[in-house]
Amino acid sequence: MLQKSKVLRFRHPGLFYLALFISLTFFASCKTGSGNDNAEAKIDTVLTGTVTAELTNAPNVPKPLTYTSPKKVMVQLETIEKVMPISDSSTYTFWTFGGHVPGNFIRVRQGDLVDVTLKNSPDSKMSHSIDLHAVIGPDGGADATSTAPGQTTHFQFRALHPGLFVYHCATGPVPLHIANGMYGLILVEPQGGMPKVDREYYLMQGDFYTKGKYDAKGLQDFDEDKALAENPDYVLFNGRVRSTTGPNALPAKVGETVRLYVGNGGPNLVSSFHAIGQIFTKVYTEAGSEINRDVQTTLIPSGGATIVEMKMQVPEVINLVDHSIFRAFNKGAIAQIKVTGDENPSLYKKLK
Amino acid sequence: MVKWLTIIMITAFSFAASAQKKAVISSGKMVVVSSGSYLPFFVTQNNKTLPVPAFQMDETAVTNAEYLEFVKANPQWRRSKVYRLFADTNYLRHWKSDLSINGTKKDIDNSPVVNVSWFAAEAYAKWKNKRLPTIAEWELAAKGTPKNIGRKSLTDYILDWYTKPNLAKLPHVKSTYQNQYGLYDMNGLIWEWTFNFNSFIGSRDSRGNNEDELKNFCAGGALNVADKSDYATFLRFSFRGSLKGNYCISGLGFRCAKDL
Repeated sequence: MLQKSKVLRFRHPGLFYLALFISLTFFASCKTGSGNDNAEAKIDTVLTGTVTAELTNAPNVPKPLTYTSPKKVMVQLETIEKVMPISDSSTYTFWTFGGHVPGNFIRVRQGDLVDVTLKNSPDSKMSHSIDLHAVIGPDGGADATSTAPGQTTHFQFRALHPGLFVYHCATGPVPLHIANGMYGLILVEPQGGMPKVDREYYLMQGDFYTKGKYDAKGLQDFDEDKALAENPDYVLFNGRVRSTTGPNALPAKVGETVRLYVGNGGPNLVSSFHAIGQIFTKVYTEAGSEINRDVQTTLIPSGGATIVEMKMQVPEVINLVDHSIFRAFNKGAIAQIKVTGDENPSLYKKLK
Repeated sequence: MVKWLTIIMITAFSFAASAQKKAVISSGKMVVVSSGSYLPFFVTQNNKTLPVPAFQMDETAVTNAEYLEFVKANPQWRRSKVYRLFADTNYLRHWKSDLSINGTKKDIDNSPVVNVSWFAAEAYAKWKNKRLPTIAEWELAAKGTPKNIGRKSLTDYILDWYTKPNLAKLPHVKSTYQNQYGLYDMNGLIWEWTFNFNSFIGSRDSRGNNEDELKNFCAGGALNVADKSDYATFLRFSFRGSLKGNYCISGLGFRCAKDL
């Protein structure tokens, strides 16, 4: 091409510049804003070392990854059956990853080889397994991880696609394992990393079905009839009424950009996720690679997730809700961000 | 003099009575489960209702005390001597030592023995001239109508037990319900080994073999379950499917069966 240009240069300078312009345009168009051309990492990329994944409990998120080439990432999860409060008066026998609902947040990078060891506590009554939606492979890993109490299973997968993915137990009957709280999130950062923000938090919505009414006293049994009818008693963020409100509200400051990684474990309900007193400036719709902007309420499918960002601009308490609003008012589907800082009267001003 | 004699006699009698009570709790007695049919939980084209001929079954699960007699007579099955191939590192971990269940305490003598592998259970059954029940036999026996469980259905009762955490100390046998066959605690105490504990799982390699794919118990493949809302049975089969023969688990024991 260059040689052709050299020849053309002397005879037809116009043609040369046209050719140059066309070729430049061709190369420039390869780098599109949505990054779709980079959406799949190469499976034969050499791994440059082994790291152990930092696992966190909600609402905390592991620190942004600093490595820029694919690694082998060691992930160890333990399934634990545990009685915990679900509301002020009620307790429930939760089945968990890591002793909490939702389970640990896992953060890896596109192209990583993820090495998963699943241990089932010897005190468990049930067998458990794991299906990670980030896995392309039989049952998302559940085929390799049917784990009896006291035993350990092991498998690896290559995380070729970026996104925020749900993981959950997939031992039969799957709906019961999910209904008891066995879900969490795994973030596969795109190759360039997630853009930097000031704060990141982890929320996961779930619906719960009990024989007793909402906040009835004592240990509550699972109600299969209500679960089949998709009529929950509790719709909660992070597995407990008031888990993330009042003194447990997520802190933020005026001027900061806050990103929320929000999953929906279900088992049944879709969430209409809304921030009262705020607007989502960026929504990674369904936690995929497309970005929507300036959204009031976004849907989180059951067994799906979303990533939203907001700019904190006034001091306020932001109520994060499922806007199927009876769930927020009467069944517990509220979390809060408490924003502190200077007032901004040109943006919002109460008048006498 | 008479007063002392009376006291001695009463004491002796109460000793005898309590010893007698222990014998009644775990007597190794077997009951007859009459013939019936079993509809396999996973239904495929090959599987139909299975006829199950009548058989005998242990009235209760095998207890710690009964299992102690077994290891006394069979040193190769003592905790410190057992082959790792036949029982993993959790074998009898709830016992104080090879030949001591809980030291001087008798509190779990009559509780079901747990932390025993399938191989160990098989060996015990053979020692007693018995065998382990098949899944079909066990399921037929377990579906026997309960005598007074205080729940609206047996499924409800079972699910309630399954979704409560394991107890730190297992209650003794006969502490839950009895069913129409005279069997105690078929549900509500422990999981129980069966002879063919995972024969319902097909090969996971599904290259061109659709029949095996359908048989795959994995939850996503629940297509061929006869009653999908029977969560209690589903949990039991999932548990069985995760087992290997040398596993020793703190909620898993066994009882024996015998042909008529």
